Amino acid sequence: MAEVRLESISKSFGGLTVLPDLDLTVPEGSFTVLVGPSGCGKSTLLRIISGLEMPTAGTVRIGGQDVTFDEPSKRGISMVFQSYALYPHMTVAQNIDFGLRLAKVPAAERQTRVAEAARILALTDYLDRKPSQLSGGQRQRVAIGRSIVRQPKVFLFDEPLSNLDAALRTQMRVELAQLHQSLDATMIYVTHDQVEAMTLADQIVVMNAGRIEQVGAPMDLYDRPQTAFVAGFIGSPKMNLLPGTAIGRDDVATMGIRPEHIAVSDDTGYWPATAQVVETLGADTVVHAHVAGTGDVTVRLPGDRRLRAGETLFLTPERRHLHLFDADGHRMQDPA
Amino acid sequence: MTTAADRRMPASVRMRRALTNGRVTAVLIMLPPALILFTFFVMLPLGESAWFSFFNWNGYGAPSNFVGLENYDRILNHSVFHIAVGNTVKIVVISLIVQMPLAMLLALLIYKKTPTNAVFRLIFFLPYILAEVAAGLIWSFVFDGNYGVTASIAGGLGMGNVFILSDPDWAFAAIMTVIVWKYFGFHMMIYIAALQSVPQDQIEAARIEGARRLQVIRYVQIPAIKPAIVVSAFFAIIGALQVFDVIIPLTNGGPSNQTHTIVTYLYTFGLTRLNIGFGSAVGVILFVGAVTVALFYQRIFMKRAQG
Ligand SMILES: Nc1ncnc2c1ncn2[C@@H]1O[C@H](COP(=O)(O)OP(=O)(O)OP(=O)(O)O)[C@@H](O)[C@H]1O
Ligand SMILES: [Mg+2]
Repeated sequence: MAEVRLESISKSFGGLTVLPDLDLTVPEGSFTVLVGPSGCGKSTLLRIISGLEMPTAGTVRIGGQDVTFDEPSKRGISMVFQSYALYPHMTVAQNIDFGLRLAKVPAAERQTRVAEAARILALTDYLDRKPSQLSGGQRQRVAIGRSIVRQPKVFLFDEPLSNLDAALRTQMRVELAQLHQSLDATMIYVTHDQVEAMTLADQIVVMNAGRIEQVGAPMDLYDRPQTAFVAGFIGSPKMNLLPGTAIGRDDVATMGIRPEHIAVSDDTGYWPATAQVVETLGADTVVHAHVAGTGDVTVRLPGDRRLRAGETLFLTPERRHLHLFDADGHRMQDPA
Repeated sequence: MTTAADRRMPASVRMRRALTNGRVTAVLIMLPPALILFTFFVMLPLGESAWFSFFNWNGYGAPSNFVGLENYDRILNHSVFHIAVGNTVKIVVISLIVQMPLAMLLALLIYKKTPTNAVFRLIFFLPYILAEVAAGLIWSFVFDGNYGVTASIAGGLGMGNVFILSDPDWAFAAIMTVIVWKYFGFHMMIYIAALQSVPQDQIEAARIEGARRLQVIRYVQIPAIKPAIVVSAFFAIIGALQVFDVIIPLTNGGPSNQTHTIVTYLYTFGLTRLNIGFGSAVGVILFVGAVTVALFYQRIFMKRAQG
């Protein structure tokens, strides 16, 4: 368990600057999730923390120590790859204790640690199998087991669940959360998945084009996004982002309102709109409507509300849930 | 491919399936040409030479002097044949313990895709592209006792004139050098292709686990490309059984028949001396040897490499 601190990190590949200048503190014991669009530099950042990649400039500190120039294996970290990166010619047990064997840990202790990891991850019955004889979820557990036995101070995950199907992903998500609680370790986790980010994180870092847009607890980002980018990125369905003129504010460049914060009425409201696509999801109904002269607006309604495409609606954004952004995309003073 | 489900079906259903899914048609159309070519160009010549091997025949007219197993008897008791087999074994051993490790070392150095590596790959591969006879000629200049590179080196060391290729003790060592030089590039290419397909993630994971470069090679990369190594060793062995073109321009089997391989033995004692029956018998022995090696090798190594 240790704090990870990145100070003025920059990274270029040849002429391409991926991370211009980045500072980030991951508190001791936190579960920090990095999210952002594809190519924004999440993996690069994680690889800099792991030591697989050297920053062009800046300092990496783990547990207060400067590890910028240390080998990956000397940093007290472990990493779980999206592809699992298991060794196909080794059994599950050999995969899990590979690092321990390299470190010449006595056989008895190795066995204890492997057995413990296998118990936590429900892999006890599979220790003698080869990775090719396992399901995707089991392979992912082996990869996690390999991390656990090294007893690292910091766990790094690069999209570890993205190769799994939806049901398995949900299950593994719960297991990861439990693992974090029981191990009490610092975890840094890269994902594309909104739900993973919101449910697992106690701190979310939203990145965009190599910069950090906002760092905060999940509900902070949801309730008070500091930039228009974060507003559009966090939450599903996406927040509606419209020009300020849509609510008659010339001083506002962009106004945002979440689909769940729009009241719908059949006969009166602020925006007259036409329903274009209605998605019935069971618990919710999501309506994509068009407001003449303003643009497309997505609305989320309770599942029992039945609507048909082509119907006319009246939409009213809830005033206290408006998010206002200036021309630079920064959050403006909250509406009273 | 026959799946488990196929096998559980009644025979009649399976037959109907096979007839209607086009597989039978495909076999009927595509098998005969291959079978005919194989028969005419492989089976018939093999059968013929097996037949000739029972005659004392100079290649003219029809073979008539039937001698039974006498040719085989002479070969198996011929000291030069023993040397030839010994040399072939030496080539196999050198291929396995010198050539393949060398190829592996170079492959590990240049398998990553960079422009510099591409240049080195080409350079190392050139000897393999070169015609065997040309390679033999080039090296006969190198080994020339009066003007060759080895002559200059020997002169520099004050050893006087060294005629490696006419020295019965050293001629075959020189030939094996040429063979290693000629064919390591081929094995290197096999390893390079295999190494490039080992996922980078596995190597990085090993680094995080604390593996040093040599440990990554030993525990991750080499085990991952084991099937390629097995195949390359197979080519090395079968190739050793066929060495011929390199030797003719270098030593032509001499001095005093010390540098023959099985094929140059066949050529020298069978073809150039017009003992076609004798040569055929050598060919049959070589063929049986090669098939035996291939079968055993497949049984023992190739199966295991797949599993
Ligand atoms: N080794 C490299 N050489 C050159 N460019 C690289 C290298 N690694 C990454 N990049 C570039 O850096 C940028 C960020 O890559 P990175 O893999 O960090 O993105 P990411 O946020 O993880 O994206 P994704 O969500 O798709 O995984 C990309 O534009 C990528 O092309
Ligand atoms: Mg990535």
